[in-house]
Amino acid sequence: MKEARTKSKNELLPGTLEMLILKTLSIESMHGYGIAQHIQMLSADVLTIEEGSLYPALQRMLAKRWVLAEWKTSANNRRARFYRLTTAGKRQLGVEESRFSEMFGAIMRVMKTT
Amino acid sequence: MGSVLRRLLFFFQRNQFDRDLEDELRFHEEMKTHALADADGLSEDQARAAARRRIGNPLRLREQSREPWRFATVETFAQDVRHALRMMRRDPGFTVTALATLALGIGLNTAIFSVAYGVLWRPLPYPNPERLVIVQSSQQTGTGVRTFSTWSPVSYEGLRPRVTTLEDLAAYSSIDVQLTGRVEPLQVHALDVSPNFFATLGVNPARGRAFLSGAAAPDDDRAAIVSDRLWRSSLNADPTIVGRSISVDGVPRTLIGVLPPDFSFRPVVPRLGALPEADVFLPNRWSGDAGQSAFLWLLGRMRPGVTRERAEAELTALINDPSIVSAGALGTEGALAAGVRTRARVFGLQAYGTESVRALLLILLGAVSFVLLIACVNVANLQMARLSARRGELSVRMALGAGRSRIVRQLLTEAVVLSLLGAALGVMLALLAIDLTLPLVPQFVLPRVGGIVIDARVMAFCLGLSLVSTLLIGLVPALRLSAAGFGEGLALHGGDARTTGDHQGERLRTLLVAAQIAMTLVLLIGAGLLIHSFVRLTSLPTGFESNGRDGVLQIVRVTLPERLYDKPDRIHAFARDVLDRIQHLPGVKSASVINSVPFAMMFIQGDFQVEGLPKSTLNVGLPKIEAGYFKTMGIPLLAGREFTAGDTAAAPKVAIVSERVVREYFPGGPREALGRRVRLWGNSDWLSVVGVVADIRQRGLTQDVQPMIYAPFQQDHSGLVRFVAFVARTATPASAAEGIRTEIRRAAPELPIESTRTMDEAVAASLAQPRFRTVLVALFAIAATLIATCGLYGLMAYTVTQRRREIGVRMALGAGRGDVLRLVLTHALRIVVAGLIVGLAGAAGVTRVLQRFLFGVTPTDPIAFTIVTLLLMAVGLLAAWLPARRATRIDPWAALRAE
Repeated sequence: MKEARTKSKNELLPGTLEMLILKTLSIESMHGYGIAQHIQMLSADVLTIEEGSLYPALQRMLAKRWVLAEWKTSANNRRARFYRLTTAGKRQLGVEESRFSEMFGAIMRVMKTT
Repeated sequence: MGSVLRRLLFFFQRNQFDRDLEDELRFHEEMKTHALADADGLSEDQARAAARRRIGNPLRLREQSREPWRFATVETFAQDVRHALRMMRRDPGFTVTALATLALGIGLNTAIFSVAYGVLWRPLPYPNPERLVIVQSSQQTGTGVRTFSTWSPVSYEGLRPRVTTLEDLAAYSSIDVQLTGRVEPLQVHALDVSPNFFATLGVNPARGRAFLSGAAAPDDDRAAIVSDRLWRSSLNADPTIVGRSISVDGVPRTLIGVLPPDFSFRPVVPRLGALPEADVFLPNRWSGDAGQSAFLWLLGRMRPGVTRERAEAELTALINDPSIVSAGALGTEGALAAGVRTRARVFGLQAYGTESVRALLLILLGAVSFVLLIACVNVANLQMARLSARRGELSVRMALGAGRSRIVRQLLTEAVVLSLLGAALGVMLALLAIDLTLPLVPQFVLPRVGGIVIDARVMAFCLGLSLVSTLLIGLVPALRLSAAGFGEGLALHGGDARTTGDHQGERLRTLLVAAQIAMTLVLLIGAGLLIHSFVRLTSLPTGFESNGRDGVLQIVRVTLPERLYDKPDRIHAFARDVLDRIQHLPGVKSASVINSVPFAMMFIQGDFQVEGLPKSTLNVGLPKIEAGYFKTMGIPLLAGREFTAGDTAAAPKVAIVSERVVREYFPGGPREALGRRVRLWGNSDWLSVVGVVADIRQRGLTQDVQPMIYAPFQQDHSGLVRFVAFVARTATPASAAEGIRTEIRRAAPELPIESTRTMDEAVAASLAQPRFRTVLVALFAIAATLIATCGLYGLMAYTVTQRRREIGVRMALGAGRGDVLRLVLTHALRIVVAGLIVGLAGAAGVTRVLQRFLFGVTPTDPIAFTIVTLLLMAVGLLAAWLPARRATRIDPWAALRAE
């Protein structure tokens, strides 16, 4: 399987990782492994989130109260920490999304010129 | 706010957090392992290993996960502090030297500042104290300005209702009273005050009430207010005391108030020091006193918005109105001359009387800052030397990614830790110094000594100092580190980075040491000037014999209160009576009386006129003496005779003049003066000159010789003889003193005795201030010299180590021990001389501020300059001697081989 890793989080535009996590959690609350799998799956393996980036990012978001964490039993009866979006997190997701689109649009405009 | 709380909470739940994260990662690992095992068909062990690899470094992960929950800056700071303490422990030599140096510098500064603050700047305990003023007057005479500090009650009553720029004008006078009746008779300090005194200060008693004037409380004339101190110690802190009766000087008075515990009123009397704290306050309107005697001090409160100039202008106009203030009012300084325009002078209460001390303290502050500067430079140099030694280690750390800013931050933290510890030690040193030395300093050298404590403000100053030293100490090495040259030239030959030269660093350190020497020289020259001046002072002849063949001079002084001794006859009788008995005391060779004894704080002077010549422009002293004064004092008679018992009040009026008067007015010499007549200010009587005596230093060693015209005690009618000093020559001063006091008490039982001391003590006391400042500046200079010498020694030791190879080569090529010695010493000499040159230039400019404290010595005194410069040069060479000797011991082959 082709694996195009994101080398380090510096490659992503700043805040993109948080945006992806927030989006994932807006669909369903899940644990850290689940979030990483979800993003990898949906992006057809283009985006692989390093654990070294994921968990610090989750802690940052916890600190900023965008998500809340809870210990629950997982699908295969193991104890895992589940994260869920808060209202503030939902609002932040909207902010990140619009910022990202703006950035993306600007880049595309520059690239489109011949 | 929330983020701070969050971080605090995390601090207490750290372990739980770590456990949670560990569980979370373990779960992630499990899931990954199964996924890899399923997907790639690996065994469980292989899959787990692969999973672990993928997850990466758990420690790093944990660090980063903690990030949003930590006080990042605080924790790095704490880490730096711990590291700094570790480094300090590892290098005890450096730590002890640095801390000792800093403690000395900061401690001395804190001590001097707390003194200056307590004496000059601590706010007085009254509302709006900056508006409180002391009112005096002055007159322009031919020879200068004469100031009169006190007023007569008549003048006060004339001014008080009319002055508009002052909210209130109060008067007070310091007296000693006895508390009788309720408790054992107790001698206390008291103040006679005008009824509006407390209102002017803005203070109300804690119990009872203040005085009221006039119709509001007609019985207040028999009232009294006491201090909290007296209430607790002598009145048993009786809560019902208000309204009861206490007996003061045998007169029953109603106690109407007790002052608050923190009340203090200690205005400074110039040359005398601060007034002692009064325990009893008596209201007085001095209505019965129509005399001219001026003994009242005036205290005023300016209206808001009024400047001192305006108040002075209004008061000047008022006092020149003869219907308000009469001319001829008497004070200890003499009388207001009639017809001369008198100016009112208004002084802020806090600053009044502290002018000379202010100059001294500011100079001391300046001097001691030098010491601190030198100390900081030393520690900075030591830091830089350590930095140079650690160059190898630090360069490697930076190459491994430590980050220059991180290391700079660490260095600054080291400096902060060093400074704070040094400051803590310094404060302890300051406390010790103050506790030990202040009790030895007389009141008139440092007034308000009791107000000198190390309180919050002084501590804040100390902290500020440590901050400044931090900057000085930490900045220089940190800048060195940031400079491009650091780490370069780092030849890692066998890891011995020291043997490669750190030229830039060495140049900088050399510069700093030279600067230290310059500053030390300035301080030393200052000390040298003061010492030279002091030596000259002590060798000045007083003109009288304070310690002679027949013994020493014992002096007992009293002041006769006007209300008991209103007629000159009564004063004469008292003096005559006591003197007759004193002269027959065992051990007393001879005795006499004078009203203004030399080297006392009091001095009476005035104008005079020689018959046939125009009025003098000279101010003469006008002492009144009994017969036998000159013999007792050991003052030689140059012509004519002394006063005798025959010069009574009824006899022809006579006078004796001093040498200086003769020099000015009788060019023919002392003989020419005999028989001529002189007249004293305000007096219409002509006095015949019957004798000429040698000059004496009446006002102290620091003042010029004063011309004097002596007149017989018994012939004075001005009331100036109210001040009586008994002078006795005796070989047994202690028993003579006791005898004199007994006789005084017998003649006037209620009379408080102002002072009892020998003339030697008086002369020594007059030297107390010069001695004080000389000793202090000398101490600072010595401290600075010690520190600078250490600095030079350290630098030379380092240089010798650096140039080991060069010296080894020279020795191998035939240089002898003497040549090597000369090499090192010349290097040191160059540095010292450079510093000395700069220091000399600086001293020539700076020492001018010492002018007012120098007697017979110019600020550029060549003797002091030369001696001190040579001394410092010798000390510098001495400091370089040990390293130089070590250089001669270098084994050339070992030095060469080490490369």
